[in-house]
Amino acid sequence: MNKELEHKFVTELQDNQNIVHKVCTLYTNDRDSHNDLFQEITIQLWKAYPKFRGDAKFSTWMYRVALNTAITLYRKNKKRIDTANYDSIIFKVKADEYDETEELQLKLMYKAVKQLGDVDKALVFLYLEDKNYTEISDTLGISEVNARVKMNRIKTKLKTILNP
Amino acid sequence: MTDELELLKKDWQKKEFNVPKLSYEDIHKMIWKKSSSIVKWILIISILEFVLPQLLYLLPSMREGMEIYKNIGVSKYLFGISILTYSVAIYFIFQFYRRFKEISVLDNSKNLMRKIIKTRRTVKHYVIFSLSMIMVTIIIMIIGVYLNDNIALAFPELKEGLKNVSQEKLKITVMLSIGIFGVILTLFMGGIYFLLYGLLLRKLKKNYSELRQLEI
Repeated sequence: MNKELEHKFVTELQDNQNIVHKVCTLYTNDRDSHNDLFQEITIQLWKAYPKFRGDAKFSTWMYRVALNTAITLYRKNKKRIDTANYDSIIFKVKADEYDETEELQLKLMYKAVKQLGDVDKALVFLYLEDKNYTEISDTLGISEVNARVKMNRIKTKLKTILNP
Repeated sequence: MTDELELLKKDWQKKEFNVPKLSYEDIHKMIWKKSSSIVKWILIISILEFVLPQLLYLLPSMREGMEIYKNIGVSKYLFGISILTYSVAIYFIFQFYRRFKEISVLDNSKNLMRKIIKTRRTVKHYVIFSLSMIMVTIIIMIIGVYLNDNIALAFPELKEGLKNVSQEKLKITVMLSIGIFGVILTLFMGGIYFLLYGLLLRKLKKNYSELRQLEI
């Protein structure tokens, strides 16, 4: 029984690992921390897995655990490595798909998002993942109205970072 | 700006992140690793907070200290205090266990943070209580010394050396030493505690207050 559960869990996580990688990319600045956070999220997902009843999609359920781990449970690695190299590898924008202005814009946007605080990043992340405000407010535990207000403030904040 | 964020969204969703995909074996290995979450750390530190003060009594020098209490004539008061301390400690352990159990990663972020802070607050109250009890013990000892008519008897092994010291002087010296020792011990233990938790929960507290501010 336990082996069966284990197999099911690992398979599902393997299929959905992109979500966890995205969270790790937003919240860490180097490869080591990325792996470290990935591991912690995996442990938390596995510990909570017996409570997952399958009434929601596995991926939906993952968002909550992954974000909670990133903004609450995970202790940041103190060492800060120069992030520029790591980010340019991770956020490689494919040149042939965009014109030059768009490419530059995207690069700057990713950089600006990385500069936001933990909670702001969580909102942006869910927004980018195309979650609606009901889901965003459910995940973070704030009201829908406040989620909207907060999102607008983040947009202003990003604008200031981009056009100082 | 909105357009830029939309552009980002489009890019984000079709993005295959440039990180090595983990294999089945990689993930399988991970699920049996030890967690290093702050909840785990709170549990470890809290158990130490409960256990360490008790271990102090196992030190031989502490047991000798008990003899001195008897000689000063305060041991029955201190016995009362230790009964009180143990009952309160049991209450706090129970309370801590209950709150600790409530912490769930499946909660929404704000509730999760609130429950962690609540759990830690239980330990904080326990530590403040313990430190107060140390202070009370120290004060009882000082009063004991003050009311004692022949303080030299409390230190039989020093009897010869103390012959020429006046009773008054000896009393003041003993009271001062106990007082200074007590203050240093309390500050030291309190300092370690607040430093540990301060560092551990700094990020969490910042994020929590940010989420809470939204609700006002």
